[in-house]
Amino acid sequence: MLDDQTVELNLPSKLGYERIAIGGLAAFAKSVGFSSSRIEDLKTSVAEACINAVQHGNEGKPDARVLVAIRFKENTLLVSVFDEGDGFKTEPKDPVIERIIENLDPPVGFGIFLMKRLMDKVEFNRTSNHRHEVRMMMKLTG
Amino acid sequence: MNQQRPNEIKIESHGDIILLDIRGDVTAFSEPSLNNAYNGTKESSPKKILLQFEETAYINSGGIAVLIQVLAQTRRNNQKIGITGLSNHFKKVFNMVGITKFATIYPTLQDALSAMSAMS
Repeated sequence: MLDDQTVELNLPSKLGYERIAIGGLAAFAKSVGFSSSRIEDLKTSVAEACINAVQHGNEGKPDARVLVAIRFKENTLLVSVFDEGDGFKTEPKDPVIERIIENLDPPVGFGIFLMKRLMDKVEFNRTSNHRHEVRMMMKLTG
Repeated sequence: MNQQRPNEIKIESHGDIILLDIRGDVTAFSEPSLNNAYNGTKESSPKKILLQFEETAYINSGGIAVLIQVLAQTRRNNQKIGITGLSNHFKKVFNMVGITKFATIYPTLQDALSAMSAMS
């Protein structure tokens, strides 16, 4: 439910629009006191969630949308990225660069890998209105 | 909103080092520009390649994948590779994904050229 602490961005499902999301996100995070280095972590994480939503969640469907909801509550920034896909059955394995360099694995999986390392918490959920949600949290410290 | 414009990549020789000066954001759309630039260095068979990025560049997982594919080629060709021009954030990201196992990150272009010139 929208309230006076929530911002929502409704984006076309096309690569490049993730930059609109991270521009809004950066302004929001700055306004509640996050440091520039933490804002960079947020920007990379949310950009990657949006890219995954476009490429894997919405799978190129022309009318699909990517929804980004940003909220600050109890000293924690909560960002949810929704797409119209089913999510994944099992979470992808972390990429192993040695195997990619040797051409044993494809160069994929960096988005989720980075989200999990740069954010304090990342969850993947199926919502009641048949959307897939990546929910990310970052606590304001110091 | 337009897709990313092609990267502008200048190729310069600095002694035995070939510098690829990469302007613009680094994403999956960078693949043709980066591959063309790398292929353009092959004629002189350089043993040392330095990639310079813009500190303000937006780099995402698609760009990281393209870069790792270039690193794979440099490894097959026994080339030493350096990287410079990264923001502190992307130095951290490159370290996280393991790029620093295959390439050395230098704080400045001058540091990179000095250190790589001294390599045998």
